[in-house]
Amino acid sequence: MQPTMNDRANIPAPAVDLDRLIDDRAAEGWFSVHRDAFRDPAVFELEMKHIFEATWNFVGLESQVPNPNDFLTTTIGRSPVVVMRDAEGKLGCFLNSCRHKGAVIFHTGEGNGAHHSCPYHGWTYDTGGRCVAVTSQRQARYPEAFGATAHDLAPVARFDSYRGLLFASLSPDVPPLAEYLSDARRGIDIVVDQGPDGIELVPGAVSFTYNANWKFQLENSSDTYHFIPTHTSYIGVLEKRRSQRAAAAPAGSIYEDIGAQAASRRGSFTFPNGHVLMWGDNPNMQARPLYASLPQVEARVGKVMAKWMMYVRNLTLFPNVQIAENASMQLRIIRPLAVDRTEMLTYCVAPKGEAAESRIKRLRQYEDFFNPTGFATPDDTSAYEACQRGDDARTLDWQQGYVRGMGAVRAGGNPEAEELGISPETSSVGGYLMGDETIFHGNYRAWLGLLKRGAAKDAGAA
Amino acid sequence: MSNGLAEATALLALEGMLLDEQDWDAWLALYEEDAEFWMPAWKSESQTTGDPQRELSLIYYAGRAGLEDRVQRIRSGKSVASTPLRRTAHMVGNVMPAGEEGGVLSVKSSFNVHVYDTRTKTQHVFFGRTTHGLVRRDGALRIRRKKVVLANDCIPTMLDIYCV
Repeated sequence: MQPTMNDRANIPAPAVDLDRLIDDRAAEGWFSVHRDAFRDPAVFELEMKHIFEATWNFVGLESQVPNPNDFLTTTIGRSPVVVMRDAEGKLGCFLNSCRHKGAVIFHTGEGNGAHHSCPYHGWTYDTGGRCVAVTSQRQARYPEAFGATAHDLAPVARFDSYRGLLFASLSPDVPPLAEYLSDARRGIDIVVDQGPDGIELVPGAVSFTYNANWKFQLENSSDTYHFIPTHTSYIGVLEKRRSQRAAAAPAGSIYEDIGAQAASRRGSFTFPNGHVLMWGDNPNMQARPLYASLPQVEARVGKVMAKWMMYVRNLTLFPNVQIAENASMQLRIIRPLAVDRTEMLTYCVAPKGEAAESRIKRLRQYEDFFNPTGFATPDDTSAYEACQRGDDARTLDWQQGYVRGMGAVRAGGNPEAEELGISPETSSVGGYLMGDETIFHGNYRAWLGLLKRGAAKDAGAA
Repeated sequence: MSNGLAEATALLALEGMLLDEQDWDAWLALYEEDAEFWMPAWKSESQTTGDPQRELSLIYYAGRAGLEDRVQRIRSGKSVASTPLRRTAHMVGNVMPAGEEGGVLSVKSSFNVHVYDTRTKTQHVFFGRTTHGLVRRDGALRIRRKKVVLANDCIPTMLDIYCV
């Protein structure tokens, strides 16, 4: 039989015993992830197909494409996509691939233009994704079947937004976006409401790669435990700066007084579908760029939301985006390239119209902490690479990194969840040095759930 | 000017050599205390950021203290990204004058820095162009400003001050 367009979905998945990958016996006091989740290329293939290409992915911000005919390009799993506004300003999301021979149509990260021609044979599309010209169609002597075939750019199956954050799914078999994000949406609210007119990406995107599995980044964002051991040299630089500046001068970073951090609280929320929020007290809130306008922020959003804006908060929206606000505020997009290779695209996030002094504060802390050219992220990514190399110890199976804090985790909410008006699946509060690892359970339960759902579909299709 | 250019060329070569030799103190001594070090980020395929006070940079230090912080971290032995250090070889070329204003001599150049990671036995080249602003102090040229435009800005794992 001739292969059809949809045959790829029917290729039998590599044989992976999914139940072998997660040892979830939380009720008995144990949880672990098998090292194959980080090192087996067959698992990676399943992750691409059944997770990234089968659920909602973050694809950009509305503020990146403010005008008619603006576009931005990104990827969902392995698939190149373009997000664009049509001539009337309506947003759409399409596979960035010419229907003729597949060439990518949009070659830059962002841009503007009413029509976009394929560089190869010249098929031309408008910003609604419609194919408006097949080059020399009249002279082509195409068969009738060609005229009966759609040539428009293929739209993604689902496309929606929440508070200016755009999400798309290549599969129609997903819950509505609001339901998918559930109460993790409150983590987005705490970010977006920081400016009276919302937030924007500070000009200047930074990308980097590391030679390790994408889930090391997924976890690290919620990992309080690593901070002091991994970032000792960064903490040392901050200590030196503190000793050299005038005593009355404000802190240059929330992490300047690591002792105060270590004596503060940290908490975790897990939500359905793999989203998690790590939060913590911020004993150095005057180091935050938003601090200068705190009274106005409180008047606008209320004391509770303003307090949460000052907290350390690292939000993961499974599977591909994190918004971390600690030393500064970063939006990071995770793009897995291979089982042992990941690309990160990162942006500094700021309230629109931020005051000049606050912006400078934000930038310097951001560059110090978050850049791959700074003092902290290179130590994170180097640690991921050490894990990837060490996970090649093939006679070792199970990690021991998922049980700290098991004595503190509880089902449902807690007083912090109540003040935020959210209903997480689990919540936890402890001292900073507890270094909670139960927050990862939320990631891996969704991860395994999607892999199993995909395997069941494949089995049904076979 | 021609003498100044020869002297500047020698200074740029020396800077690269000192970084490759990991002679951090001698490297820092090339910089004025108020030296600005700036490596802008890119905001599109063809344009870097232009204002380090409003837009993001890959690295921005308003004074030599920022470079001293980098050296402290490198020497600390407590940065996994810096222990062991990568080996580098700087090649600095196309040195040409770019004007003189207020006693600051601007010099443009191009660079390739080969970087070798002993842990993975892999290598990478960072390349781009640099503008140095040089001043004369105690008879010798010293660095008042350095702007690095990194052409290949998708960073493999890390880029430290000695990699450009």
